[in-house]
Amino acid sequence: MTDPMDIEKLFVIATQRENEAYAFYAAAARKVADPSVKEIFQQLAQDERGHFEKLERFRANPVEVMKIRPPAADWKIAEAEDLPTLSTNMKPKDAIALAMKKEQQAVNFYRSLAAASTAADIRSMFENLANMELTHKHRLEKIFVDIGYPEVF
Amino acid sequence: MTNSIEEIQDAKVLFVIGSNTTEAHPVISYYMKRAAKRGAILIVNDPRKTDLTRWATLHVQHKVGTDIAYVNGLIHEIFKNGWAREGFLSNCTENPEAIRESVKDYPVEKASQICGVPVETMKRVARILGEAESASVCYTLGITEHICGTDNVKTLANLQMVLGNIGKYAAGLNPLRGQNNVQGACDMGALPNVFHNYQPVDNPAVSEKMAKAWGVPSLPQKPGYKMPTMLRKALDGGTKILYCVGDNTVQTEPHMAHTIKEVEALEFFVVCDIFPNLTTPYADVLFPDTAWGEEDGTFSNTERRVQRVRGALTPPGEARSHWWVMQELAKRLGKDLGFTSANAVWEDMRKSATSYAGVTWERIDKVGLQWPCPTLEHPGTPFLHREGKFTRGKGFFSVTKWIPQAEPPDKDYPIILSTGRRLWQYHSGTQTRNSAGFDNIFGEELLEISPEDAASLKIKTGDLVKATSRRGSITLRAWVTDRSAPGVAWCAFHFEEACGNVLTIDRFDSVTETAEYKACAIKIEKAGAGELKAKGAVPRRQARP
Repeated sequence: MTDPMDIEKLFVIATQRENEAYAFYAAAARKVADPSVKEIFQQLAQDERGHFEKLERFRANPVEVMKIRPPAADWKIAEAEDLPTLSTNMKPKDAIALAMKKEQQAVNFYRSLAAASTAADIRSMFENLANMELTHKHRLEKIFVDIGYPEVF
Repeated sequence: MTNSIEEIQDAKVLFVIGSNTTEAHPVISYYMKRAAKRGAILIVNDPRKTDLTRWATLHVQHKVGTDIAYVNGLIHEIFKNGWAREGFLSNCTENPEAIRESVKDYPVEKASQICGVPVETMKRVARILGEAESASVCYTLGITEHICGTDNVKTLANLQMVLGNIGKYAAGLNPLRGQNNVQGACDMGALPNVFHNYQPVDNPAVSEKMAKAWGVPSLPQKPGYKMPTMLRKALDGGTKILYCVGDNTVQTEPHMAHTIKEVEALEFFVVCDIFPNLTTPYADVLFPDTAWGEEDGTFSNTERRVQRVRGALTPPGEARSHWWVMQELAKRLGKDLGFTSANAVWEDMRKSATSYAGVTWERIDKVGLQWPCPTLEHPGTPFLHREGKFTRGKGFFSVTKWIPQAEPPDKDYPIILSTGRRLWQYHSGTQTRNSAGFDNIFGEELLEISPEDAASLKIKTGDLVKATSRRGSITLRAWVTDRSAPGVAWCAFHFEEACGNVLTIDRFDSVTETAEYKACAIKIEKAGAGELKAKGAVPRRQARP
C-alpha cells in the first residue's frame, strides 16, 4: 500500500493545477473585450472551481478517484487544433479551443505521471485523473463542434 | 441545415415556407408527409397551392414577397402572448430587446394588411408555434429568391431563436438546398470569396497556408465577383474570360435577353457540359463533360452529408472527368497538380480543411458522414448548436423590415409572375429534356393562372397565351388552376421554348446577389397558334469563330 503522504502529494499537484486553471480563466475573462468570450472564460473559471471542489471531495475519500470512467469517445479535436494565443480580441471558438487544448495538456500531464509511477495504486489514480480531464476535454470538444466550423461566405 | 433530413419525420410542428418540397425536394417531402401522418402539425406557407398542401394542417397563402411582414407579425404575436422562450433569449442570445422592439412595428393587424393572411389565421399559426414543444422551419428558394432574400432568412432565424428552437432535435432552421450538390460545391470553395471549407481568401494567414499547401508562391487575396457581377462586368470589360461548368447560364439567369448580351461581350467563353443547350452556342471552347453516372467523387447534400458517388459507365467520346479537365488546364498554365484520381483530389482538400478533415472515402464507403467531422475519431454531426451555442457566442437578432418587390404590378403589367420548378423536369433541362421519357410525361410549359384572372381575361385551360414583361415575351398554354392566387401567375424555367427567365427581372439581393426570380410584373394576352415555339425551334446562334 502506498504511503498516504504520497497520495496527499498527488492531490496537492492536482488541486494546484485546478487552482492555476481557475486563475488563468479568471484573468482571461478580465482581459478579453468580447462579452460572449468574457462569459465563456467566466464559465470556464467556474468549471475549474467545480473541478477543484471535486478533487477536495476525492481527497477526503481517495478511493472514489478510482471510479472515474473515461468519456465514451476521444474525438482528438484538441490535438488537431493549434493552441490559440490569449488576446483581447479572441473569438468564442478561440476561447473554447484554448480551453480544450489546456484540458489536453492536463490529460497528457496525468498520463505521463501515471507512466512514471511505480506504485500500482498511484498509477491508477493518475490514470483516473487523466480520465477526469479527458471528460472535460470531451465536453469542450462538443461545444467546439457546434461553434468552430461556421458556414460563412 | 442545422438539423438532419431524417429528423423531419419526428417534428412536432413543421413550418414550411417558400418550398415546393414535393416537386423540388421529393425525397425530403416523404419525411414531411410521414411527420404529418404521425400527427405533426404541418403548416405550409406559400403563395401557391403546392402539392404539399394536401398533407397540411394549414395552408397559409401569403402574398408573394411578404414573408418578412408575415413572420414578424407572428413573432409579435408570440411575444404578446408570452410564448417566447425567455430562458433561451436571456442565456443564448445577445440582443433580445432588439427583436422585442422591432416587431412592435408588425402587430398582426398591420402585418395582415401587408401579407394578406387573415388576422385570425396569423393568430392561430402563432399559437401553434408558441405552444409547441419544438418546431422545425424548412425553407427553400421562395425565401431566398427575392431582393430581400437575406433578410427573409434572418427573419426566420429570429423566429426560431425567439421560440428557442435552435439546438434541438427535430427543430432548427433548415434551408433545403438545391440539386444534389449545391452544399458540396460551396463546401469545396466554388464561391468567390472563400477557399474550400469556407476559409476566407482575404485572410493573409489562410492565403499563406493554402499557397504553401498547393506549392505556389502566393495566391490572390482579393475576393472575386459573384455571378451576376461577373456577367454585368462583361459589358464594360471588367470580366474578359468566363469558364462555365455545368451551368446553362443563358437559360437560368434572369432577363435572358440581357444575359445573352453579357455572354456575347466576353472575350473568351469556355463551357463544359454534357449536351448542347442555350448557352453552348456562345462558347468559344466547349469541353464535353461527364454525367453523374460516369465519374467518381462525392456529393454533399443539404444536411451536410458527404456521400460517395461511383462511375458506372465509361464516359462517351472525348468526355472526361472534370477534375482531369481542370488538371490538364492547370498543366498548360504551368502547374502540374499531380492528381491521379478523384480520391487524390478529395484527400488534398480534406487535409487542408477542418470541418470535414475526418471524412475519408473509406469511412463513407457505405453511408455518408455529416460535417462537422473534424477528425478520424469523430462520428459526424447530425444537428448543430446544441444547448444554444453559436459561432459568435450567443445568437444575434438582425432587425428586418419588409420591403415591396422590385417590380410591383401596375396597370400595364398587372399580374405578378412567380417562377420555379416542376417534378418532371430538372433545372434548365440539359439532362431531362434530352430524355424522351420526361418529355412524354410533361413536355410543354404551362402558365398557371387563377380562375379569377382567367375569367377576366376570358382564358380557359389549353388556350395559347402570351406572357409579356418589360424584358420579353413567351407563348405557352394556359392552365387555369387554383394553385395560383388571384393576381399571380406561375411558370417554370425548364423549357427553352417558353422559359420563365425571358420574363424575370435582373434585380438582386444586395448580399447574395440572388435574383428576384419569384416576383416580377407581367401582362397576359391570348396568343395565336403560330406563336407557339416547338422544341428545338429556338434560334441557336453559331459559336463564334
